[in-house]
Amino acid sequence: MRPGFSPRGDRGGRGRGGYGDRGGFGDRGGRGRGGFGDRGGRGGFGDRGGFRGGRGGFRSPEGGFRGRGGGRGTPRGRGGRGGFGAGRKVLVEPHRHEGVFICRGKEDALVTKNMVVGESVYGEKRINVEEGETKIEYRAWNPFRSKLAAAILGGIDQIHIKPGAKIMYLGAASGTTVSHVSDIVGPEGLVYAVEFSHRSGRDLLNVAKKRTNIIPIIEDARHPHKYRMLVGMVDVIFADVAQPDQTRIVALNAHNFLKNNGHFVISIKANCIDSTAAPEAVFASEVKKMSGENMKPQEQLTLEPYERDHAVVVGVYRPTPKQKK
Amino acid sequence: MLVLFETAAGYAIFKVIDESKLQEVDSLWKEFETPEKANKVVKLKHFEKFQDTTEALAAATALVEGKIGKSLKKILKKVAATEAHEQLAISDAKLGGVIKEKLNLSCIHSPAVAELMRGIRNQMEGLITGLPPREISAMSLGLAHSLSRYKLKFSPDKVDTMIVQAISLLDDLDKELNNYVMRCREWYGWHFPELGKVVTDNMAYCKTVLKIGERTNVAGSDLSDLLPEEIEGEVKLAAEISMGTEVSEQDINNIKHLCDQVIEITEYRAQLYDYLKNRMMAIAPNLTVMVGELVGARLISHAGSLLNLAKHPASTVQILGAEKALFRALKTRKDTPKYGLIYHASLVGQTTAKNKGKISRMLAAKASLAIRYDALGEDTNAEMGVENRAKLEARLRQLEEKGIRRISGTGKAMAKADKYQHKSEVKMYDPSGDSTIPSTSKKRKFEEVEEAEEPVTPVTQKTKKPKKEPVAEEEAAQMETEETPKKKKKKKEKKEEAVAEEPKEEEQEEEVTEATEKKKKKKKKKVKEEEED
Repeated sequence: MRPGFSPRGDRGGRGRGGYGDRGGFGDRGGRGRGGFGDRGGRGGFGDRGGFRGGRGGFRSPEGGFRGRGGGRGTPRGRGGRGGFGAGRKVLVEPHRHEGVFICRGKEDALVTKNMVVGESVYGEKRINVEEGETKIEYRAWNPFRSKLAAAILGGIDQIHIKPGAKIMYLGAASGTTVSHVSDIVGPEGLVYAVEFSHRSGRDLLNVAKKRTNIIPIIEDARHPHKYRMLVGMVDVIFADVAQPDQTRIVALNAHNFLKNNGHFVISIKANCIDSTAAPEAVFASEVKKMSGENMKPQEQLTLEPYERDHAVVVGVYRPTPKQKK
Repeated sequence: MLVLFETAAGYAIFKVIDESKLQEVDSLWKEFETPEKANKVVKLKHFEKFQDTTEALAAATALVEGKIGKSLKKILKKVAATEAHEQLAISDAKLGGVIKEKLNLSCIHSPAVAELMRGIRNQMEGLITGLPPREISAMSLGLAHSLSRYKLKFSPDKVDTMIVQAISLLDDLDKELNNYVMRCREWYGWHFPELGKVVTDNMAYCKTVLKIGERTNVAGSDLSDLLPEEIEGEVKLAAEISMGTEVSEQDINNIKHLCDQVIEITEYRAQLYDYLKNRMMAIAPNLTVMVGELVGARLISHAGSLLNLAKHPASTVQILGAEKALFRALKTRKDTPKYGLIYHASLVGQTTAKNKGKISRMLAAKASLAIRYDALGEDTNAEMGVENRAKLEARLRQLEEKGIRRISGTGKAMAKADKYQHKSEVKMYDPSGDSTIPSTSKKRKFEEVEEAEEPVTPVTQKTKKPKKEPVAEEEAAQMETEETPKKKKKKKEKKEEAVAEEPKEEEQEEEVTEATEKKKKKKKKKVKEEEED
């Protein structure tokens, strides 16, 4: 007879689901009932997308509609939106590299398709695009923070990181670039993220919690045998460790885990290897060390204008010898 | 030769079928290009699966440290029992040494072995039969997370998600409780409206409703444990003369259910608050000591997590919660707010309004240190928080005493503040001063009406060549009206006027007739003007 006391789990659950997202923005907007709370949490992106048609061209004849658009345009509380404000018409087209996209609007940006819709990993901008019925969310990739993005924008020929690939990422730090790599490889691929620092490791663990294709490994990359239990064979090794013996580190990991004809992408910071020598000399010496370890470099690219005295080297490991008959 | 291969799902022991292939290290990789070829080189002899994640975690940690774990020991003993003469190929030389010591199995590690391991790893799915590839990847993901958490000394006590969720739930419960109580009052008010007005406390109201049910039961029931005596008496009285309608048994039952819910939620809320206090003390003891549990929890939930809060500078901690006011002030170049959520801390609450801003800034600075200590420090004790709070309180006292130091004399002596005495000074409003037209109080009696009207005419006439007759009376009337403003109490005024009026009534009747002709003041003025002309 008595209605059982349900501890309002259902509403609490929904509230909690929305709250996690909002917590990230530090935004305690009013949480009313019904769908209004969700709209608040998205930061108004989803809602404003609907008005895009009206605002973009200002083609609507009704003055009232324009007034509404004007009202929405003025409060720019969030600031720093750049070219992708709410309701801006943007076009997302695929990049030459598979899994990477370019967002064209007032300013162009490199974006990847967000695997965890609605969440921002390090506060980057998210762009929502409607394709017919499906809504796809993309995350902006900052080339000043990520060496891989800088290399792509610099015009590197092949990154070898594509959907479905297995990547070993040495020097994962807090997981900012790792999240983009995870977006590129998609749910079929795997990213083994190795990071030794405990502080960054905690952030990496949080990123890995949301993305199931990231396997976090809090170990020293110098001893790959310590994490041999967790790792299978990989297709690509990406290294951003900034250590003087980084070539040896990559070589050790490659001997253990990189398949034949697998590729490696190494980011070299000249200052880190040898601060007295000229950067070009440092890069050349690193390339020479690689060749000695059965790693054949194929291209080298400096990361100007995003980084100074940095270079990215892409190569192949244990290439199958071309049979001359 | 046997090969020991560790995976996330378990330990695998392979037997090398064709040892001659191992001689050609460089071309060994060719043998592992396809699963069929691989199966010709090595064969799975034994696979020891991990029972659960704890076992896997133990094995993984042992592997990292280079020791032999329990499950490894088990499987190696089996090997030693059956094929003690065989050599064991392993990936880690150090581990090999340990195995040799403990179990007397000869181990080898060479480039050939490394190549072999590579090959096996390449064809892991094909070689380890009976294990779907999905399972291996799922196990390795789970194992990686547990291993990482173990490495980072993840402690479930220090998860601040609990705080964020608990404080949100507390706010939700408050809102819901308020709604329910309002609903209950409204609903039951249909039957017994007076109870709502008499019993103001929500919990008492619900308990009372539960106890009495129908209005008719009030007289018989004993409410002394729920309500104080006078209120109980009032309730009983109100029940007799209530104007509410009758309701059925079923309706009362439903209302009682609602009251039950309200009481349960209230008790749960109290329990949740206790839980929140405990968690706050466990997670952020220094912050709790400095600002209190509730304010601390709100700060953490506003920032998202304790670590996020620690990253904020002290100035941000000071105005966390007042973002709307802050950005509005920044945009319009006005003064920014001085406090946000920190305003509700006890230290800020107990100061005078003038010093709240200063205390808020000081508290934010020290609290920010406490937050960082809690979020990033190694040990968890509240010493630092207690010290800081003592410092702040000392500074607070200094601030308040700064203004009342003696100027002359020793200079260090404290000026004594006067004991507070309530000077009850009731000033009455004097309406006579708000109009130059001599008039009596607004509440005029019938006699006064005539009297009020007649002085108007004499005054104006006085200023412009008054006739002789009215002069004397005007003056008398004026004297009278001048007297009346001096007296404070209106009743006396009226009486005096009334007294003065009566003897003069006869005299003034002539003027009354004049006055009655000109009833509205505006008209009178016009008339006067005409008269003057």
